[in-house]
Amino acid sequence: MKTDAFIEFLAKGSRAEPAPALSHKLFWALSIAGLLSLALALTIIGPLPAETFMTPTPWIKFAYTVSLAVAATFLTIRLARPVADRRAPSVWLGLVLLAMLAYGAWHLVLTPEQAKQQALFGQTSLLCPWLVLLVSLPGLFALQLALRAFGPVHLSQAGFACGLLAGAIGATAYAMACPEDSPTFVAVWYTLGIVLTSAVGAISGRWLLRWS
Amino acid sequence: MSDLNVFIEKATAVTTGHPFELEIAPIWRLAQTGDEKAYEQALRLIAQRLRSFFRRRMNNTPEDAEDMVQETLLAIHTRRHTYDDAFPVSAWIMAIAKYKLIDFWRKHGRRDTLTDEFDDADLSQQSTVTTEAVTSNVADIQKLLRTLPDKQRQAIELIKILGLSVSEAAQQTGLSESALKVQVHRGIKQLAALVAKKTA
Repeated sequence: MKTDAFIEFLAKGSRAEPAPALSHKLFWALSIAGLLSLALALTIIGPLPAETFMTPTPWIKFAYTVSLAVAATFLTIRLARPVADRRAPSVWLGLVLLAMLAYGAWHLVLTPEQAKQQALFGQTSLLCPWLVLLVSLPGLFALQLALRAFGPVHLSQAGFACGLLAGAIGATAYAMACPEDSPTFVAVWYTLGIVLTSAVGAISGRWLLRWS
Repeated sequence: MSDLNVFIEKATAVTTGHPFELEIAPIWRLAQTGDEKAYEQALRLIAQRLRSFFRRRMNNTPEDAEDMVQETLLAIHTRRHTYDDAFPVSAWIMAIAKYKLIDFWRKHGRRDTLTDEFDDADLSQQSTVTTEAVTSNVADIQKLLRTLPDKQRQAIELIKILGLSVSEAAQQTGLSESALKVQVHRGIKQLAALVAKKTA
């Protein structure tokens, strides 16, 4: 029977094929995503003055976006394979998000009435989510191409995870250039930018993550 | 997408005690240690399971179902390193099968389009298409092999068809063992891409 011959063909010498280095691929895609986002953020907007990094503001942003990126990496690795348990990384993602939203809300409550508008919208609220999306897109593409080698089966979900990861990396790079200093601003507009990137990832994943 | 998750969760729950899981798990474990005979046996068992899975869902087109069995076997073969032993192997296999089925529907449309296509198609053409697509016997594989770059073709012929060991093949070709392994791997990937293109 023909399928039998095919099976013999696959099995013969099957030990001779090396295991593909999937983790290397992902590592490279992550590095490329980080570098591209950083390069874009620094060329489009330009770096913050060095003394800003002596204040806590950029570090709050980094703490948020880097934690998101770490949780999103685990989610992406889980969803990269055919069978996945995505509960633990989803819980971590939820916790990070909740913590930042709570912190942003708390900061807004503590802000005096006349400064509330500024704390929420800053100067760049209309631009911020789009810029986060923009600096994240090349990394999203790199991550999705790398992920295809694993054989994901839930394409939208895996694409969403890639978007979340690329968005978190992009937001980290954007924080190197963004002059806003209110945690409320970060909780709302950075998050919106990351969510936008995730949405683009979920949609593009249906095509970019297809393998056969 | 969400019913795919439900499917996988159910499959994970059910398959742990499922006869197919009980049958395949020990053989698969053995195959993963590099035992080729066990691997061949595992693929045969998987093929049986896949055949009933695809026939039940593609009952208008049994030939396509057999192609899908082979395509899924190939996907399992080229992605066998993505298996995570925290999960039942049958759930992993069926997740790939389900993905392949959805991929097939995406390319060909659902049942209705399939029957239309068959009724309208020129039958003589139809048969050449299917013989091209079935890569199952050695003659067909050799036809496909001819389209590969020389190095890949040679590596696959020596190791996969003549059945030489990697070190024997290395001696014969003068290539290093790791280079040969890479050529075989690339060649199989390329064949997979060719088969996918032809069945598309």
